Amino acid sequence: MLEPMAVILKFAFLAVLYLFLIWMARSALKDLGRAVGGRAGPGTSPGSDYDQATGMQAAVSGLATSPAQAPPRLRVVSAPGLRSGDAYDLSEGATLGRGDEADIRLQDAFASSRHARLVPQGDVIVLEDLGSTNGTRFNGEVLAGPQPLHAGDAIQIGDSEFRFER
Amino acid sequence: MSARNRELLALIPASLLVSFGFAAIFIERAAELSNVSLSYGAMFLALCLTGHVVLRFLLPHADPYLFPLAAVLVCFGLVVIYRLNPDKALIQARWFVIALALFTATIFFLRQDFRVLERYRYTIAVAGLLLLAAPRLPFIGQQVNGAYLGVKVGPISFQPAEFSKIAIVIFLAAYLRDNRQVLVQGAKRFLGLTIPPLKQFGPLLVIWGLAMLMLIFIRDLGSSLMFFGGFLALLYVATNRFSFVVAGMTAFFAGSWLIATNVSHVRERLTIWRDPFAPDVVQGAGYQLAQSLFAQADGGLFGKGFAQALLGTPKQSILPTPDTDFIYAVIVNELGLVGACALLLVYLLFVERGLRIAMLGQDSFSKLLATGLTAVFALQVFVIVGGVIKLIPLTGVTLPFVSYGGSSIVANFVLLALLLLVSDRARRTAVGMTP
Repeated sequence: MLEPMAVILKFAFLAVLYLFLIWMARSALKDLGRAVGGRAGPGTSPGSDYDQATGMQAAVSGLATSPAQAPPRLRVVSAPGLRSGDAYDLSEGATLGRGDEADIRLQDAFASSRHARLVPQGDVIVLEDLGSTNGTRFNGEVLAGPQPLHAGDAIQIGDSEFRFER
Repeated sequence: MSARNRELLALIPASLLVSFGFAAIFIERAAELSNVSLSYGAMFLALCLTGHVVLRFLLPHADPYLFPLAAVLVCFGLVVIYRLNPDKALIQARWFVIALALFTATIFFLRQDFRVLERYRYTIAVAGLLLLAAPRLPFIGQQVNGAYLGVKVGPISFQPAEFSKIAIVIFLAAYLRDNRQVLVQGAKRFLGLTIPPLKQFGPLLVIWGLAMLMLIFIRDLGSSLMFFGGFLALLYVATNRFSFVVAGMTAFFAGSWLIATNVSHVRERLTIWRDPFAPDVVQGAGYQLAQSLFAQADGGLFGKGFAQALLGTPKQSILPTPDTDFIYAVIVNELGLVGACALLLVYLLFVERGLRIAMLGQDSFSKLLATGLTAVFALQVFVIVGGVIKLIPLTGVTLPFVSYGGSSIVANFVLLALLLLVSDRARRTAVGMTP
């Protein structure tokens, strides 16, 4: 038994389905075009091919707060477990430490689990020790209180050395 | 048009589909068109609108296409299940409501920052593994067709693998976020292949071992392919080393070949897959698959129409388990090649949106989580559709959002919620608002 009404409904079902799909696919394609042109990846660790190829960024990243200024970064001078020359984006701040919750994880016996943090305050990044056991050294001196950072400043935690850049 | 308005508009075709589908079935059943089908459509629209309102308030920047795509898939499921068994459709509709509730709950609790999940990675991993192992436990475990996939507690039975796939993806994303650089950096290169140091490769070997153990314990090739494939996809995205994928696939196939030749249940599946029409197979173990292939061929280009598939005589069922494993075969029979392609296109677009979210993600965990969830979703569709069309040995996973079954639809809505959470965060930062 073939009801003409049922056949019409079946084709109506298929037609609505395909119109829906075409609309979805069109929007998806439009989106794709936008993404290719507009993807601004603040290169967090330049030179590492696995970052660029899959669009992955290093442990901490985010879009630069102001495009006119280079994003603030923390470059690894030398640190056990981290590759020298890698840089972490600090636009959204970061915590340093040995523990799981730290954004930049140090494999350093002298580091506390939550050792220090870098907090963006307006246009500057402030370095703050989080009551660590062995302290944080800022440009060679033990850090006493919160310290705004300038390009080129050196941060030392245990055996790990970093340089602030922007 | 804003993202949320686009989403709202896209829900209208989904509800239209429900109305048309139910109307066609009513005509076949009672030879009269009542306005009940429209009220089914309206009810469906109302449910979808609830989900939409939740997104509008809690995740205003989330991807606007994922939810309507899922709604279309659910609509496919409800129409076909109603056609097979009206009572089951009612139960499935109830599960849809529960799924939406859990979807809302997931979004509500994780709306601030879903990355808290990262902190509980080991708890989540243990929970996922326990869920996987649960069907083998005494008293609550259930064996269905030789595979251990179900758990029965009192009147409620569910498939824990559906939930553990989400748990394991969360764990792997968190784990690889920490270790991906180490995996590549300490590696030695040998004959053009990257060989990571044993210390870091250890956990990967453990996961391979777990996939193999799963194969032995649950006796389900499809689920272990789904889990292991998802893991390899994540590993590839995290390290960009294709050699890992090649090595992983080789190890998986070698291992599963060994197991397949030794575990009778898996071996039987392989025999059916090789030739379901062999004289000694087609009347016994291969009957299901052979009938499913006949049903799909019978559908032709445009299908036989709703409620036209011959599923069985009162004496003998021709197509067994039409509402779960073989629901795809029923859809092909009733809507034809054109309808089946449309269904697969819906899945394709869903996966495209998922990978797109991963590309937009701002941090490694978001990227890995979105990739992993999308990969297991895509692999699940591949495993069941591939099984039904005899591309790979058939195994009993569900067709996401479509198959009858509470745990499947609930788990997939949680998966959808997580994808939308990642999407909302990524697009919010891209738009330039404070995160």
